[in-house]
Amino acid sequence: MTPRDRALTFARRGTLLTGAMLVALAGVYVRALMFTPIERFQGPAQKIFYVHAPAAWSALLAFAVTGILSILYLWLRDRRLDVAAAASAEVGVAFSMVMLTTGPIWGKPIWGTWWTWDARLTSTLFIFLLFVGYMVLRGALTDPEVRARYSAVIGIMGLVLVPFIHFTVFLFRTLHPDPVLMKPEKPSLPGDMLLTLLVSFGVFTLLYVGFLTQRYALGLLRELRDEEMAHAVS
Amino acid sequence: MADLLRAAAAIALKDLAVEWRTKTALVSSLAFAVLVLAVLFFARDPTAVGAVDVAPGALWVTFTFAAMIGLNRAFLMERDNRALDGILLAPIPRTALFLGKVAANLVFVAAVEVVSVPLFVLFYDVPLWRRLPELTLVIGTATFAFVVVGTLLSSMVVRTRFSELMLPLLLLPFLVPPVVGAVQVTARVLAGRPLSEALGWLRLLLAFDIVFFVLSTILFTATLDE
Amino acid sequence: MQYPDNGAFMVAAYVITAVVVVAYAVSLFVRLRNVK
Repeated sequence: MTPRDRALTFARRGTLLTGAMLVALAGVYVRALMFTPIERFQGPAQKIFYVHAPAAWSALLAFAVTGILSILYLWLRDRRLDVAAAASAEVGVAFSMVMLTTGPIWGKPIWGTWWTWDARLTSTLFIFLLFVGYMVLRGALTDPEVRARYSAVIGIMGLVLVPFIHFTVFLFRTLHPDPVLMKPEKPSLPGDMLLTLLVSFGVFTLLYVGFLTQRYALGLLRELRDEEMAHAVS
Repeated sequence: MADLLRAAAAIALKDLAVEWRTKTALVSSLAFAVLVLAVLFFARDPTAVGAVDVAPGALWVTFTFAAMIGLNRAFLMERDNRALDGILLAPIPRTALFLGKVAANLVFVAAVEVVSVPLFVLFYDVPLWRRLPELTLVIGTATFAFVVVGTLLSSMVVRTRFSELMLPLLLLPFLVPPVVGAVQVTARVLAGRPLSEALGWLRLLLAFDIVFFVLSTILFTATLDE
Repeated sequence: MQYPDNGAFMVAAYVITAVVVVAYAVSLFVRLRNVK
């Protein structure tokens, strides 16, 4: 199997998984909007939670993966790790868009304010900005070796920075609702709502995997094309 | 270890000597600092907000912005004529290059701060002289934090197009913990309260210093060509 | 039962989520097709 065939296999499988998950996401919409009870005190807006929390999870997962792949790249120096790290960062930016738009839309009716500078909101905003910087830096560098090294450094620095930002704002003040899912006794969400949320988490996680696989294949194919062009010129 | 520090000192002295001959970056950073201090004084409603209330924030915005102007200089001057390759050919550990650049940047930013603080007292009329030791401690720990990270990032962004735009974009997220911490401590110092009230913030600053100094020193060698 | 009347927020959030996710999926699809 040539590298190109391998990349095409990734592309095909990623597209299949993404397609399946888009259908599943439509299913989540139907279930969340029509078959999940409306919360008594928060009203329909509470249902935003079923897309906001899973999207936030996927975004943070994506950025954690970028950070870990960055460490692995500097250790093993395998260019595929860099391609995967970049892929995960881009997918993370996409999920961040969902997280950062649905969050305020949920906050306005429930908290009474679009935005609040609490630890989680602030950290996620800065994670997003860090990775926008990561992407811009990648775009501004042309040498693939240099680009891989520099973006790995930013990825690792970002991974270490996030706990610091979290703690900074924690010292400042905090207001975000505590996790309602993982309480030791019993989940505080009623069964129907919990199932919807868990299904949505699963769908968003697999959607991340699908996007990541596609974007990784795209990165590999671009590298191959660039190599071919460089070869043709020389 | 002694060799490492001697090599680092040589690099720092070279940088400072070059800067001292032209003083371009120093003069522009200083002028910029004065401008920011003056502009921020007017960036408030004087009937509602006293100058003392915005003073800590103004001080740290001034320091970080003025520093950012100077930070790119350290590696920009190595980019022209590929001077960096010459340094890398020298038989010195690569860590020495980073430590030297950090040291030179620290001196540079300290120079800007030494001039800015008296002006700050003058402009904002803050009761500062009795709390100078505490203030020096805060300025020292926070400045170290952003100079270390800034030096690492500037070593990378000089290889890009639009490096002057790229540095703030990448550096500002890293300034959140040190600058927020520094503003909080400075505000308590200026209000005449004991330093023990801001112990949590001081710990945060110190932890940031240690973690990012070690991390940046390690990662710097990874940014250089093999 | 009486609920707070905030259905419009819910609709907005679900629409935005769908738009972002589908737009990104399309962008990946198109970019993959162009590079193949």
